Amino acid sequence: MSAVNLEKRRSFDQIAWNAMRYSGVLLIFLAFGHVLLQDVIVGVHRIDLDYVAMRWANWGWRMYDLFLLAFAFAHGMNGVRQVLSDFVHQERHMRAVNVALLVVWLVVTLMGAAAIFGGVRPVQ
Amino acid sequence: MSRLKTALGGYAGYQGREGHLAFLLHRVTGLGTVLFLTIHIVDTALVYFRPELYMDAVALYRSTLFGIGEVFLVFCVFYHGINGLRIAAFDLFLKKNWQIQTARSSVRWTLGLTLLLWLPATVIMVRNLLIHNFGLFGG
Repeated sequence: MSAVNLEKRRSFDQIAWNAMRYSGVLLIFLAFGHVLLQDVIVGVHRIDLDYVAMRWANWGWRMYDLFLLAFAFAHGMNGVRQVLSDFVHQERHMRAVNVALLVVWLVVTLMGAAAIFGGVRPVQ
Repeated sequence: MSRLKTALGGYAGYQGREGHLAFLLHRVTGLGTVLFLTIHIVDTALVYFRPELYMDAVALYRSTLFGIGEVFLVFCVFYHGINGLRIAAFDLFLKKNWQIQTARSSVRWTLGLTLLLWLPATVIMVRNLLIHNFGLFGG
C-alpha cells in the first residue's frame, strides 16, 4: 500500500474517532430523551399508529427523530466497524466489511428518513 | 479462526479491573443497542411503507419477553451513554484523568450513575408490564 493511502486512511479514522465522541455527547440528549419519553413515560402499551401520527403532526418532533436517526445509526454502524476491525485483519476482508456496512447504513437510514418525511399512511 | 480466538481470548483474559469491565460493557451495550436500533428503524418505517403491519410489530414489543428485553435495552443505552460521556470528556478535555486511579474511580462513578438512572426507570417499566400483561395494580 502506498504512503498516500495510509495517510488518507489515518485521517478518515481520525475524523471517525472525533465524530464518535461529538455525536456521542449529542446522543446523550437525543437518545436518553427518546428512551425516557417513549419507554418510561409513555410506554409501549400506549404506542400505536395514532400515537405516531399525533407525534409527527409536530414538525419539531419529526426533526428530533430525524436527528436521532442520523446520529444514532451512523454512530452505531461505525461502532460495529470498529469492533469488527478487532477481528478482521486482512485488508480486503475489512474492505468488504466496510462496503457491507455502508450499504446497510444507507438503506436503513433512507428507510427511516422516508417514513419520517412521508408520515403515517392510512391502513388500506 | 485463530485470530478470533486471539481477540476473544484478549477480551476474556486481560486483567484490567475497572477499565477492562468498562471496555467490555461498552462493547456489549453498544452492540446490543445497535442491533435493536436497526430493527427499530425498520419497524417504525412500517408506519409509512406497510401501516397495516405496524401493530404486529408493536404487539411483539408489548409481549412479556420483549418487555424484559426492554429493561435490559434501557440499561444498555444508559450505561453506554454515561460511559461514552466519560470517554469523550477524558479524551477531549481531561486527558490527565486517564491516570489509573482516577480512571478506576470514574468507572465506579459511571456504574453508580447508571444504576441511579436505570433502577427508577426499571420500576416504572416493570410496573407497566405488570399492569398491562398481568392485570395487576388495577390493570
